Amino acid sequence: MTEFAKTSASASEPNLHPRGQEIDCDSAPSDALQPASRWSAANLFRNPFGELTRRERAELAVVPVAEIVAAIGESPPGKPAAGNQTPSEPAGSEPVAGDVPITFRPWSAYQMIGECGRGKTTRMLAIGKAFPSASYVYLPEDQPCPTIPAGEPLLIDEAQRLTWRVRRKVFASGTTLVLATHKDLSPALRRAGYTVTTEKIGLSLSVGKLTEILNRRIAASRRDPRQPVPRINDEDAETLIRRFGTDVRSIESYLYDIVQSQVNHHGEMRFID
Amino acid sequence: MAKCDLSIELDHPERIYVGGDKITGTLHVLADADVKCKGLEVTSGWRTHGRGNIARGTAETLTLFVGEWTAGQREAYRFELEVADWPPSYHGNYINVDHYVDARAKIPWAFDPKASKEFVMRPVSGPDPGDAQVATAVGGCIGYGLVALVLGLMVVAFGFLIVTFVVNPFAGLIAGGIVIPLVGFFAAKKLLPKWLLGNVHAELLTPQVAPGDRIRARLAFQPKRRFTINSISAQLTGTEVCVSGSGSNRTTHRNTFFTDRHELEGQSTLQAGDRKEFNLDFPIPGDVPYSFDLADNDLNWTIELRVDIPRWPDWTQSLKLLVGPAGDPIEQPQPAPSHAALDPVAGPAGAVGAAAAGAGAAAPPQDEITFVETASHLWEARYDAEQVDLLVEAVTGMTFEIDTFIERRLLYSGEEDPHVYDDGYAVWARHSDPPLPLVLYIPHELADEFEQAGRDLWRCRGTIVGWDHQHRRLQIKVLVR
Repeated sequence: MTEFAKTSASASEPNLHPRGQEIDCDSAPSDALQPASRWSAANLFRNPFGELTRRERAELAVVPVAEIVAAIGESPPGKPAAGNQTPSEPAGSEPVAGDVPITFRPWSAYQMIGECGRGKTTRMLAIGKAFPSASYVYLPEDQPCPTIPAGEPLLIDEAQRLTWRVRRKVFASGTTLVLATHKDLSPALRRAGYTVTTEKIGLSLSVGKLTEILNRRIAASRRDPRQPVPRINDEDAETLIRRFGTDVRSIESYLYDIVQSQVNHHGEMRFID
Repeated sequence: MAKCDLSIELDHPERIYVGGDKITGTLHVLADADVKCKGLEVTSGWRTHGRGNIARGTAETLTLFVGEWTAGQREAYRFELEVADWPPSYHGNYINVDHYVDARAKIPWAFDPKASKEFVMRPVSGPDPGDAQVATAVGGCIGYGLVALVLGLMVVAFGFLIVTFVVNPFAGLIAGGIVIPLVGFFAAKKLLPKWLLGNVHAELLTPQVAPGDRIRARLAFQPKRRFTINSISAQLTGTEVCVSGSGSNRTTHRNTFFTDRHELEGQSTLQAGDRKEFNLDFPIPGDVPYSFDLADNDLNWTIELRVDIPRWPDWTQSLKLLVGPAGDPIEQPQPAPSHAALDPVAGPAGAVGAAAAGAGAAAPPQDEITFVETASHLWEARYDAEQVDLLVEAVTGMTFEIDTFIERRLLYSGEEDPHVYDDGYAVWARHSDPPLPLVLYIPHELADEFEQAGRDLWRCRGTIVGWDHQHRRLQIKVLVR
């Protein structure tokens, strides 16, 4: 008994595979062979809740970067506004946030403490994108510590995994730090001479913020900019928060399956039944 | 706000392209303001999207224009790009692979406008099967080796347990609570079925098939005891396996999209010493997707052989199958550098000799190969780890004059990094043109020199010592002149 599971991966439809040995390159394929056809009803070119690249995550982040920056840097009064910087340009001598030049204070650290899926990494990536002079380092589990380049600021993800020896080296440098950690590192930072600001991430998630996070992701997957895309409304967001709390990663995972189940439907996409 | 809009128009948007084809079209530019463009690039390639971490590949990149546009100016640029010959376009539940033509205008001090257009690609041949390590047979020595290994592990575990119990009974109890169930589970899974079945030989006779072909496999065993079975079956399974996140957030997602179960024998009683042999021969549908392995996005085909024994652990064995196009395998692309010294296969002995001689070797004559040539080849191949390894192996040990721009110093480069000088520095830098990323290991004596260079061009003399795969940087040990 041959059985295709109920999924859009059934070979006959969207797998874009030959049904015979003859290849007619210029023939118009059936609807199923059109990449656009799977998502045309929703005007999307991909599932909005799939995995993104780091750069895209940073671009779509809904993060109060200014608040974080205010804790570790300052805009010198009377400084002329600098132009925007783009990743394709070398960083100037001075980091900027939008049009405002920022001077990062040495010996100052901002640490974010929270559970998985609450947005620590997203915040880090957003800061990294805002400041080309920044360096982002992720410390993998049970592996040697990777290269840690200097940065303004230096962003260390999973900072609780810093070995004592490397931590001492980094904290001795006095470089401005932004740390994402599961463990409070403020005692060690203060001993090294740092001024520490601590933010506990994921204690609350507002309906408005979740709606913005999810709708940004949908908008980033829009196929035709002139056509509308489905939207998450406040009721949907409220239902999701009731079900998943502040765990945005689980919300996105759930929505991935919801969208995927409607990928070949031609009706209106519904996120919450 | 972008200073210009890009849009891509393919000549045959509905065509199904074949690997290695050329795709043609027009890139339209509409400038909203006076704008200087450092490079209008079009690229053909592929990307995954879905649940797994994104994998991507590039087939060809062209620069169509460098210069200035004035406000309101409309331009159209024709392009012809090579289509990647692997992987195939695929739309599944967790994994999607799409081929694209991407365009980007590099605008200084502004966001780069981009455009993208998908197209469908169907390959006529797959990657070299030699690259895929597929176990096609299990039995004989492997079977007995496994038994010996399990028994050895059990002996070591129990020995360790006894010693621990004597030294510290509390720790022994905790260790026992972990070790005994683990060993028990392993024994039940591997040893108990063999106790009834004896040594089982399972072999896939067609490790590679095309959609529509027939799959042939063999299963043979001689029962050691008389026992009853529910069934003996073979199940062909197609699974998407992808990984999202990294480190402690790494999550594996599996989606089985195809199952086809064949019963080789129903409920029966097997007699001790009565040899059983099954020759499987069944078709794989003609419209199934090909196997592929794209970093964290895999499409796997397996045949699971199962002897279902009532009230006893089942014997199971999974054999991996490669489903690919019917055509001949693609020959692995060899680097085709303009200079023979960069060809790791046919390179002159001098090049290899220099590599083998290590950092202390005398540099080859400078008219043979320049660093700019070396950097250009590496820049082109930087996303192809295999190609990079071949190239780097060929030039390791060579010494060059190198024009660099220092990017940033490393606070920590890993104590295990053998290239760092004692009291020296490691810095990230890039070559002037092409902007190949570098790691420079600088001796203490040159500290002032590179500090004074700041962000200006710094010319140094250095020996190539390797490649940092994580950051895609060429590693160079800087020498004191």
